[in-house]
Amino acid sequence: MGKDIREDIAWAQINKDVLKSLESPRKLYWVIIVIALLVFSVGIGCEVYQYNTGMGVANMDNPHVWGLYIASFIFWIGMSHSGTLLSAILHLMHADWRKPIYRFAEAMTTFSLLTAGLFVAVHLGRLWQVYYALPYPSERWVWPNFQSPLLWDAMAIFTYLSSSILFLYIGSIPDLAICRDNIHQGWRKKLYTLLALGWEGTDRQWRNFRVTYLTIACFLIPLAVSVHSIVASDFAMSQQPGWHVTSFPPYFVAGALYSGCAAIITLFIILRYVFRVEEYMTLPILKKTVRLTFAIAMVWTYLNCIEFASVWYSHDQVAKDVLIQKATGPYAPFWWAMIFCGSVVPFAMMVKKWQTNIPVMFAVSLLLNLGMWLERWMIVAPTFAHGYYPWTWDHDQWPSLIQWGIVFGSFGWFTLLFMVFCKIVPSVSMYEVKEMVYHRSLAKKKEEQAVKEELAVKGAN
Amino acid sequence: MTENDFNRRDFLKVLGWGGAAVALSGCGNTSIQDGQETVTSYVTLPSFVVPSISNYFNSTCAQCDAGCNIMGRVREGRVLKAEGNPNSPINRGRMCGLGQSGVQAHYNPDRVREPLLRTGDKGETLTWDKALGLISEKLNGTKGAEIAFVTGGMSGHVQALLGNYMDALGSKNHFSYEAISPAVLRAANKKAYGMSMPRYRIDKAKVVVSFGADFLGAWISPVHFSQQYAQFRKGTRPEGRGVLVQIEPKMTLTGANADRWIAVRPGTEGVLALGIINVLGKAGISIPADIAAVSKEYTAERTSKETDVSAEQIEKLAALLKERTPSLVLAGSAAEGYAHGSQNAAAIALLNRVLGNVGKTVEASASVPFPQIAPTVGNRSSLNALNDGLAAGKYKVVFSYGVNPVFSAPASMKFKDNFAKADFKVAFAHYMDETALAADLILPLDSAMEDWATVVPEYMAAPEGAGSNAYAQMSFRQPMMEKVFPDTRGVGDILLALLKQRKADEYKPFDDFYSYLRNAVLKNKVALGGKAGDDDEVFWNETLSKGIVPFKGIAGSVSAKASAAGLKLPAAADADPSYPLRLIPAVSASMRDGRNANEPWLQESPDPLTTSVWDSWVEINPKTAAKLGIVEGDIVEIASRSGSIKTQAYLFPGIHPDAVSVPVGYGHDAMGRYARGVGANVFGMLDAVYDKETGELALNETSVKISKTGQRVIIVKEEGPAGGSQAGKQKIAVQVSADKVDLSKEV
Amino acid sequence: MSVSNLLENWSEFRHTHPVDDKGYPDWEAYPSDIKWAMAIDLDACTGCNACSVACYAENNLPVVGKEKYSHGQAMHWMRIERYWDENDSGFQADQGARFLPMMCQQCEAAPCETVCPVGATNHTEDGLNSQIYNRCIGSRYCSANCPYKVRYFNWYNYPEQENAWPAPLNQQLNPDLTVRTKGVMEKCTFCKQRTYTARNNAKTEGRPVQDSDVQTACQEACPTGAITFGNLHNPESQVAKQWQSQQVDLIKDVQEKDEKEGNRLRGYRILEELRPYPSVMYLERVRESAV
Repeated sequence: MGKDIREDIAWAQINKDVLKSLESPRKLYWVIIVIALLVFSVGIGCEVYQYNTGMGVANMDNPHVWGLYIASFIFWIGMSHSGTLLSAILHLMHADWRKPIYRFAEAMTTFSLLTAGLFVAVHLGRLWQVYYALPYPSERWVWPNFQSPLLWDAMAIFTYLSSSILFLYIGSIPDLAICRDNIHQGWRKKLYTLLALGWEGTDRQWRNFRVTYLTIACFLIPLAVSVHSIVASDFAMSQQPGWHVTSFPPYFVAGALYSGCAAIITLFIILRYVFRVEEYMTLPILKKTVRLTFAIAMVWTYLNCIEFASVWYSHDQVAKDVLIQKATGPYAPFWWAMIFCGSVVPFAMMVKKWQTNIPVMFAVSLLLNLGMWLERWMIVAPTFAHGYYPWTWDHDQWPSLIQWGIVFGSFGWFTLLFMVFCKIVPSVSMYEVKEMVYHRSLAKKKEEQAVKEELAVKGAN
Repeated sequence: MTENDFNRRDFLKVLGWGGAAVALSGCGNTSIQDGQETVTSYVTLPSFVVPSISNYFNSTCAQCDAGCNIMGRVREGRVLKAEGNPNSPINRGRMCGLGQSGVQAHYNPDRVREPLLRTGDKGETLTWDKALGLISEKLNGTKGAEIAFVTGGMSGHVQALLGNYMDALGSKNHFSYEAISPAVLRAANKKAYGMSMPRYRIDKAKVVVSFGADFLGAWISPVHFSQQYAQFRKGTRPEGRGVLVQIEPKMTLTGANADRWIAVRPGTEGVLALGIINVLGKAGISIPADIAAVSKEYTAERTSKETDVSAEQIEKLAALLKERTPSLVLAGSAAEGYAHGSQNAAAIALLNRVLGNVGKTVEASASVPFPQIAPTVGNRSSLNALNDGLAAGKYKVVFSYGVNPVFSAPASMKFKDNFAKADFKVAFAHYMDETALAADLILPLDSAMEDWATVVPEYMAAPEGAGSNAYAQMSFRQPMMEKVFPDTRGVGDILLALLKQRKADEYKPFDDFYSYLRNAVLKNKVALGGKAGDDDEVFWNETLSKGIVPFKGIAGSVSAKASAAGLKLPAAADADPSYPLRLIPAVSASMRDGRNANEPWLQESPDPLTTSVWDSWVEINPKTAAKLGIVEGDIVEIASRSGSIKTQAYLFPGIHPDAVSVPVGYGHDAMGRYARGVGANVFGMLDAVYDKETGELALNETSVKISKTGQRVIIVKEEGPAGGSQAGKQKIAVQVSADKVDLSKEV
Repeated sequence: MSVSNLLENWSEFRHTHPVDDKGYPDWEAYPSDIKWAMAIDLDACTGCNACSVACYAENNLPVVGKEKYSHGQAMHWMRIERYWDENDSGFQADQGARFLPMMCQQCEAAPCETVCPVGATNHTEDGLNSQIYNRCIGSRYCSANCPYKVRYFNWYNYPEQENAWPAPLNQQLNPDLTVRTKGVMEKCTFCKQRTYTARNNAKTEGRPVQDSDVQTACQEACPTGAITFGNLHNPESQVAKQWQSQQVDLIKDVQEKDEKEGNRLRGYRILEELRPYPSVMYLERVRESAV
């Protein structure tokens, strides 16, 4: 196991190290940026084609009216949850190990929400009329349908997105001030000056900052839970077999946290290498994250079993058929892959040696993410393939390359946003790390003091 | 006044009333009001045209030969939709999908738009004057015997003009050809009942046993029979709900609607009929001696062995027929398409006599007193005659109208090559179909919604009531709008122009076919239901607006003396091991013989039984398929002694294990964007076996073998992977046993 | 103003669903004197497809061609389903096939209506489930939630597809309704253009709508007259008589036929246990067991 953050690291050193990451990342950073751009442009190309030609090019049909877009939408919404978990929930719980990593987790929240938003757009048959879904007072007094879970969705996501942006931004203000103070020329200086909002680090500012930050954190937690519950209600509120499940909201939330944590592990490993912040994003932090992920994985697995069991013991034969079909039908390989990735692979995280083994955890985290993506797909597609009406059962509606291309492109879009962000805003929260180091050194001093005292007592004896 | 008398007779002949057994109104206005009824400018609308309100014009469907009366919905000068004429005794306001698609024939983008002349491999457009001049030129010096005209089934005044034209040319070579025709049935009916097309009364029968007559799908007059069928199924009818038993090797739409579908070994329908007679005799029904002599050897056991229908089933069926009378036994194309097809049909007709149905559910129909307009029905033997003549080089000039023999003749006839032997071929064409492509001069026709015609149906459905055996009707086909393509012409106009080349004097009074037709109708006002004193204009308009002109036909009567004399059914032959399966070319309700294949609605509306679209397929019993290792979607080669096709396999529980079935009408390599290259043409591979009595091509006599090609596709069809299963648990399409419901009190 | 309007509309909207808890159809509370409904006799239906083609002709449905059909993108508002008996050995279909014409069931408590984010699918006061093409943004939630899967999405811009209506085929298009552009949902409307004309004409003449005023295109074409259509609210209409004689009740989710054994009825509604309260009653196909 690697070393944790040194308690004796100087605050100036922290500034220096972190700010360095904004200036000179490894070459790999640029490679990632270029690849992300390419991937994103594939997605853009596909979307332009789809926009102009019609949704048919995604190879959706009746009854398969929803496809990977909705699945990926849920996936990305899900990803956003762990940022909140790490920064807000753990903040309230005073888990100080979160401090070096929460900033990028929060960024991940924001950007995955933006990506999810893209899928709403990509999914709509008439994107150009998307504003009909907004409750604006039109001259004809036409309102959206407040009964529709999709509208709840739109509102919840919009609220969540704006709150997370706010949360991310407010949390970054002290660091942006450090950037402003340490960078002396170019557009960056101007940008930081603007964004830092005149932060000087006065007591008053700190006090207000703390209160605001705490308030938003408190606000954000129920919001995060509700967002994914509402996304779940897109399905649970419908009447379709396999969707009409009461346990969907907690199941979705657990799944969201799960995939988010897995994504944090992935990004953690990438970031610490790319931005040379190994000293801050240390292996003990990884270990804690891995343990957290494992716990959530088990919660998810449990909820999954609950879902199967409640379907299995219900009298709803159609829902049961959908479940059987998932396990044995044409989607079976994907469904079992989901079970494997989501419920079996996490046990690798139980192995102590592997918890800090970077390559192993990287692979595991990717598999977990794959599993969680498959989970979303396996929620959406099999119900269409095996609904109430046998005449329209459909086994052959596989997504077209266009559909895959757009899903693929979304990863490029996310990576691009994320990587650019990390280059502009410190991905490690400097002030919180300082706090952490300070607390730790205090604790250490206390400990040393205690030892000394003990020794003194012993000596005295 | 002898000269005048002669003129008068001649004039009647010109007008199509020649040989009339009904008196014509002697005098009346014979002048023609030329130029008074021309195109109306839409700047000043006629009073009946209100923008956004539809007008309905009565006309007659041209999509098949049943002659359903339709109404065209016309708005702002465009015909939008066809609907059934409620006053029609044929279709009673209803329509089939094929008829609905008539508008797509009318607006079809692949119609021929101007006269075309082919020289070698090149084609050029030319004016009508030139085109007609060219015909005149080619005909000069050609003997009448060297001219042939091939058409489909025809009737009415276009036929009268055609007859007059053939007379003018001195030719007797009018060949009336139908690729799918009930020719064997006509002959058998003539023998059994004394008339070729009696009226069947499904609606009066308690039991209908149909030996392969697809009367709900593609047999004779399906919309009319569907109307009867609806009555037949009503529990509120005095006879109660009727029971339909369908006996055929390949399930037709009618078979799919039967209470019991019996898969009979192909070709043994006659045996089964005699077997039923035998069992009926044993059950105490009196069987005339001549019939008993034939049927006595067909015991239930022997019949069962030969037909592959269980003895128990035969006995059940006989018991039902004995218990519930009147019944109706129909013989359809599936039973007739054999070398012994006439024998099969005759044996089946015996059942009606034995059961006493003749006169009750087989009723007499009227015959038309005007031979010139009475329907000329087509068959395949006439194509053989034409083909033989062409092969022998007898015909120099050949006209074709409304048929596509190059597409629908079996390859073994070498029709295309023989057709090429004629010096000058003129095709009156709607599409550039296979026959038009082989012609030298192509004359573009008006669509049925742009053209004038009169139609006399072959199957004379009559309204209920006394005198229905003397009911005859003529239906009008009238233009519902301006021509879609300005340079097309009506077939009547072309024939009139051609006649003027020969008999300028007699036809001079008629500017166009419209004036000819109007004159002809007014000339015979009294016979057509008017009074001698009626104003011509009023009478004409009223007649047109009704679209149906009933007139008194020559009352017929059916004879119940169907005789078994000479009836000899061959023993079922053992299958040739190299060609072990029987090919049954299936005629679907929408595709028929393929003439409408370029109407996209028909291509896209799924075949009712397989739900397949936009392609042909071969139906194979799952048992047979398992033996051959074929699964759904396998591209298989079906080879007969005369040819082969490749198509996709569809496993179908509605077919006898010894048979396979491929729909006809697909596999055009011309005609238009929707027809070209869709499916495979099964006509080409049929063996040249003919019905021994009528000389009609025996459609079901082709033996085939099937082999996999190794390719596999996903069949494009409406049915999903559940394959027509309701997954066992939901009430979706529910069926109930007749003894579990009370239908008598339904509304 | 606008917000109060929203609230008012909302309560009104909630009210237009006639399925209430009184246990019988409360026609007094029903917002209009028309409730369109249908009855389809499966014993008369022969599966001939005439209704489906008539629907293409009447409602400007595009032909999609083989390739798109293979992707399940056909636009047949009225589709004919063909089922085989479950107990067949699979080799011989002794009792023929079962045909079922399936189109939008115009549910009274339609699952599609509640989920549309923009309210593009609505309940009309004459009991139809309407689709406002202009309002539709193409989320396809309605189709996802439809138990019958009878909603058809414009996956492409069909009017401009090469082989949908190449000129002059486009001249056949019915000017009484639109052609739909890409990205909107559509479905059977019970030939709304016809019912509206009938209503307006009756109103002009100051009398209630009668059966003779209107037929849907499918009903008009059906060669066996298997389809009955009319105002369920009018006890004189054929469709009301049929529902009545089969004791099928609009607001019940289990009908007499299924509730009691041996009542010799054959009217049922498909998937009514899901409580969408569909407006189409089917009459079971009858088969003689004596032969």
